[in-house]
Amino acid sequence: MSRVNGLHKTYEIRCPVHGFISLNEWERCIVDAPAFQRLRRIRQLAWTDQVYPGAMHTRFEHSLGVLQTVSMLYSAIASRSSDVLKEDIGYTQDGLKRDQQLIRIAALLHDVGHSPFSHASEELFPENDHGLKFKHEQYSAAIVRTELRDVIENHPLNTANYGFRVEDVAALLEGSTKAKQRLFWRDLIDGQMDADRMDYLLRDSYHAGVQYGRFDLNRVSNTILAIRGTRGRGPRLGFSEGGWHAAEGLVLARYFMFTQVYFHKTRVAYDIHLKGALSEILPRGKFPRPIDAEIGDFLAWDDWKVLGELSAGRGGEHGKRLINRDHYRLAYHSPEISSPDDLVFLELIKEKLGNLVVSIEEASKNWYKTGATDIPIMSDVDPTLVQPLSKFSNMVRSMKANNQVLLYVRPEDSERANKIIRQEVENERTRQGTLEFDPGAS
Amino acid sequence: MSERDKERLSLIPVLAESHPSHHIGRTALMKYMYFLQTLRGVQLGYNFSMYSYGPFDADVLSDLSTAEAMNIVCSTQVSFAGGYGYRIQQAAGAPRIKQDANGFLSQHKAEFNDLQVHSEPALLVGVVNEIKPRFSRECVETSFNSLFEKGLLVSV
Repeated sequence: MSRVNGLHKTYEIRCPVHGFISLNEWERCIVDAPAFQRLRRIRQLAWTDQVYPGAMHTRFEHSLGVLQTVSMLYSAIASRSSDVLKEDIGYTQDGLKRDQQLIRIAALLHDVGHSPFSHASEELFPENDHGLKFKHEQYSAAIVRTELRDVIENHPLNTANYGFRVEDVAALLEGSTKAKQRLFWRDLIDGQMDADRMDYLLRDSYHAGVQYGRFDLNRVSNTILAIRGTRGRGPRLGFSEGGWHAAEGLVLARYFMFTQVYFHKTRVAYDIHLKGALSEILPRGKFPRPIDAEIGDFLAWDDWKVLGELSAGRGGEHGKRLINRDHYRLAYHSPEISSPDDLVFLELIKEKLGNLVVSIEEASKNWYKTGATDIPIMSDVDPTLVQPLSKFSNMVRSMKANNQVLLYVRPEDSERANKIIRQEVENERTRQGTLEFDPGAS
Repeated sequence: MSERDKERLSLIPVLAESHPSHHIGRTALMKYMYFLQTLRGVQLGYNFSMYSYGPFDADVLSDLSTAEAMNIVCSTQVSFAGGYGYRIQQAAGAPRIKQDANGFLSQHKAEFNDLQVHSEPALLVGVVNEIKPRFSRECVETSFNSLFEKGLLVSV
């Protein structure tokens, strides 16, 4: 399982985003485990390479990047806010050092439960007993509890120094009260200012060859802190006042990446085809469940296996479209910020198009969607004065939820659909008596 | 927009309006949704997980943003000593979405008006004390007793 010699060696891995990523011997053993190596075979952005050819990176390097980022942020917060962490959460210096190791491992493993082609295939996760779809975090926790139990619990660095159990890692990944006071750090793993988001924005931007996801990570790290709660509330993550532009940059990077990359019309079309093909390929159209008896079967699914099935012609019509790059076409979309009237008009177009519409995709359902932000900023003059980022930033204050809806048709129906849409747009202009009407038609 | 979307969006102005002050904050909204789904069994499709500040699902905030963009509710930021919060109120577009989700709202009317928390007190005190160690066990117990007296917690 683990190398006994060289227990205190540090390993460095080159990374195009962070330079070098350092691992200790325990972390290296986890990285070497088959369940983690599988992430080399799961692309970070599914079929985005069909639009941005460079976007071929995987969950493997992203997971290493999240470990590096979370470690940097943790150190910064522990150093800058040690009084808050000690007085309000009860940490000692040793406790902080100890938990940093646990948070690093949780960050490293946060995506180990991804299905092939990442988020694009999550709609094929089965439902739990309450009728809710499982989430990839629940798969990650299940893999930690089973496949990774030995390498986590029995590594000499753990047994001699920490004594962490897999439940400690799983509780952080799932968001369970069993994580106790460590729940404070969960915002760094899965939250508005998490290391996951910070790494994927920079990494996706780098590989896609766009600049939209860039923000000042060093400044974020230099200004992030734990802000003391008021009215009996606990501490929470935020920024010192000097860092609000860095926080604003992070919010804007996410907004730009959503509109330009994650919700790109052609990328969305490929997600539709992947889901369609997988529903043909998977037994009963669903992935195995994140339970002990099925987690091994789940781990057998990676991009390679899916590509093999597609190559063997088992993906149905959607599989053929993936292979032949014959994707659905966007026929009509509502504005990024759609009013109720915009949505009524979209319904009218949908009705007129009838069976020509083969898929309806909503920005509000996309995994990368941007929602309300609430990043606290602590005054430099008076540390008890805390205000939201929107108070400082005009742009953040003006941002609204993207509730755009996209209507897709088959490429062979595209011309027919466009004719119908043009006619309806013309009718709408006549009804409104204005030439300024902008339906957002493609 | 799916029926589920309409139901979720319609709930936001209903919860705000049913509060005595006719507005609620974001934290309260998150907790109401959590209680409705996990304790009252109203199928909302949220997937909550636990943070140091309580149950959270980003989809609730995403729905709030959509509701704001569609003028179903309006949110204003309010400041208080050392902090800030939000005041979410019903807006002009609320009647339309409520009408669209009328069946759902009528079906669950009783649940929206009776959001008491049913749990085993000693267990709850222990859980809160573990997540928020800055509060002594005694302090948590006192707070729980106060909630019991006000009828906001019910022992089972």
